[in-house]
Amino acid sequence: MIAVFLKLALGVLAVAAAARFFAYPRPRGRYCYLSRCAVAFAEAASDVLFPPGGEPVYSGREVGIPDFFERYFAALPRRTRVLFQALFCLFEHATLFFPAPGHLGWRRFSSLSPEQREAAIQSWHASRLYTRWLAFSSLAALFSIAYVSHPAVLRQLGLAPRATRTPIARADLLYPPIGRGPEAIAYTEADLTPPSDGTPLRVDAPLHPAFAEGFVRAPERIS
Amino acid sequence: MLETRPGGEVRVFAQYKGDVSEQADVVVVGSGPCGAVVARELAHSGASVLLLEEGPPFTPQDFELNGSLSMARTMREGGLRFTTGGQHLPTMQAIALGGGSLVNSAICVRPPSWVFDGWCGDFELEHTSRTDLDPHFDAVEKFLGIAPTPENVQGARNLLLKRACDALGYSSEPIARNVTGCRGSGECYTGCRNRAKQSMDLTYIPDAIRAGARVLTSVQVQRVLAEGSRVTGVVGQVVQPFTGRRSYRVHVRAKVVVLAAGVMATPVILQKSGDLANRSGQVGENLQFHPGVAVAAFFPEPTDPQFGATQGYHTLQFLKEGFKIETLWAPPPLLAARLPGYGRALKRRIAELSHCAVWDAIVSCHRSTGRVRARCFGMQPRLTYRIHPEDTVLLRRALWVLTELFFAAGARTILPPVFGAPEELHSLADAEVLRRAWRARDFAMASTHAFCSTRMHSDPRRGVVDEFGRCHDLENLYIVDTGIFPRSPSVNPMLTGMALAHRSAGFIAERL
Repeated sequence: MIAVFLKLALGVLAVAAAARFFAYPRPRGRYCYLSRCAVAFAEAASDVLFPPGGEPVYSGREVGIPDFFERYFAALPRRTRVLFQALFCLFEHATLFFPAPGHLGWRRFSSLSPEQREAAIQSWHASRLYTRWLAFSSLAALFSIAYVSHPAVLRQLGLAPRATRTPIARADLLYPPIGRGPEAIAYTEADLTPPSDGTPLRVDAPLHPAFAEGFVRAPERIS
Repeated sequence: MLETRPGGEVRVFAQYKGDVSEQADVVVVGSGPCGAVVARELAHSGASVLLLEEGPPFTPQDFELNGSLSMARTMREGGLRFTTGGQHLPTMQAIALGGGSLVNSAICVRPPSWVFDGWCGDFELEHTSRTDLDPHFDAVEKFLGIAPTPENVQGARNLLLKRACDALGYSSEPIARNVTGCRGSGECYTGCRNRAKQSMDLTYIPDAIRAGARVLTSVQVQRVLAEGSRVTGVVGQVVQPFTGRRSYRVHVRAKVVVLAAGVMATPVILQKSGDLANRSGQVGENLQFHPGVAVAAFFPEPTDPQFGATQGYHTLQFLKEGFKIETLWAPPPLLAARLPGYGRALKRRIAELSHCAVWDAIVSCHRSTGRVRARCFGMQPRLTYRIHPEDTVLLRRALWVLTELFFAAGARTILPPVFGAPEELHSLADAEVLRRAWRARDFAMASTHAFCSTRMHSDPRRGVVDEFGRCHDLENLYIVDTGIFPRSPSVNPMLTGMALAHRSAGFIAERL
């Protein structure tokens, strides 16, 4: 009888563990470099780290932080990518050891209520434990990078890169774009242009096209 | 294509179709500022030169304007390399044709005489006084057109430091840089779209190619080959840009091998070559940094911080004390990464970035050392570093001076990068808390300046190379990167590294 009960209990525990660690809904976007766990955590944490309201007007969820992580992780070496995934996983499941206040505060981070998520993040932020603080600082840094990378946020801050005329230097006759061969060198001696004359870039210079529009989900409200 | 002397060429990843076997008088490993100088000078002396670089050449269309994505493409380990073993210190090394010069802020400073006097006295050097090196500094400065940052591209953010120094009676000056026609776009760290920065890929390397040098990019050197007391060449592999995926084998035979792979990579190559050139036991030892403490502050008036030279002004007032203070700007996402807090408070700080100025102190932590060790697999280093308690005192002092300067310039709020301190300080009285006995690890720091991992010393038992960069153990192996500095130069190291490399090139040319 005891053996049956133990087996049953173990089975329930295994199902609970599997549900906790593996059962995530399919994300809205298509992600190759982010696990479902990482996407769920990133979306949930976006709301706490960059809530709606105040300036800048965009919330973390509006700017699509997981989309940026997908691009960023794709550019990172595998080892670093794995470390970042592990960091997200740590925060997602750390509620087992540092439960959020309130009912069922031990659930994974992305399953907590908004108030519980806020409290969980606050406990990391205010921790006097150096390693906990370091982990939180790393996480907040990653999310801040993602948030401020959004063209709409940069535009609102007035910090979007400006368009500029890039002179064609003699060195441009030597190097093809990365991944291409010398046949892709687009310039000849005849294309050389005078070097930069040192005219300071003006505050009212037009924005770089990549930052002037695109990748915008929220209505533009540039102050 | 550009007109070159016969033989001059640059080869890129797409051109490799099989194993590569080459021969040259001199093979130079690494195309950063030091390697590029040696390659150009030796090519002009008539030697056949092969320059190997692990990274690709970046054209303006390859530049990524987003700071973090740019770092992931141009820096080793995605720009997220750090030390362990006591101090968690992020450190960045470039992987690109031109090395760090592609993505640094082009600062060129000659160290004062007392730096070299100290080197000569403590490391038994006879020909490395400032007077000995001045002709080499002159040559490099002339070639690159190094000049102080003009006033019209300083921008408000840089001039605030001048205002602060004037108010407190400290000396200050515009930073000299290898830049011509700067427009003050503040984009040095992501690659200069104005082609104003005179990085090595635009200057020394094309000139070396014109003089007949061959440049092989996307080649990772893995071992130096030696027979008896001489080296015979290097072997490595072609690596794909960004992924680092290895493919064809590369074998280069050469009369002279010059390692300029940098403070981290040079010791790793030597260690992977069967602990070559290490009878002294000093390869990979004595690693030093300039830990940088950066402080952000908000001003009542807009500073339009993205306009103006990335690093345009500095004060050398505290150099003898052990630190140098300079202005700083970085792509906004990277700056935002250093802002404290979360939620509304973090958003408010981000919203104030247009009123922000960032200054940093680079600290000459002479007593603090670390170690470079090759990892078992691959060519990445394992770095350990520990900050000496006396240098921690210096860090605290530098932080205090930065705070004083900010409030003297009229800052409304400063954000001290210290674990356990308040997130915002609003007056000098508030800032008294920074005088407490904070530990080194409490400071959020980073460093791009590294030295001493293959240091010079006249005594073969205490150094890896002599003062001309020649290895004590192997007569035709030279090291010319900043790893040969016997101690921190107290100022930004690029120009000193290039001057020493210029001298080494002449020394090698005489012996070919």
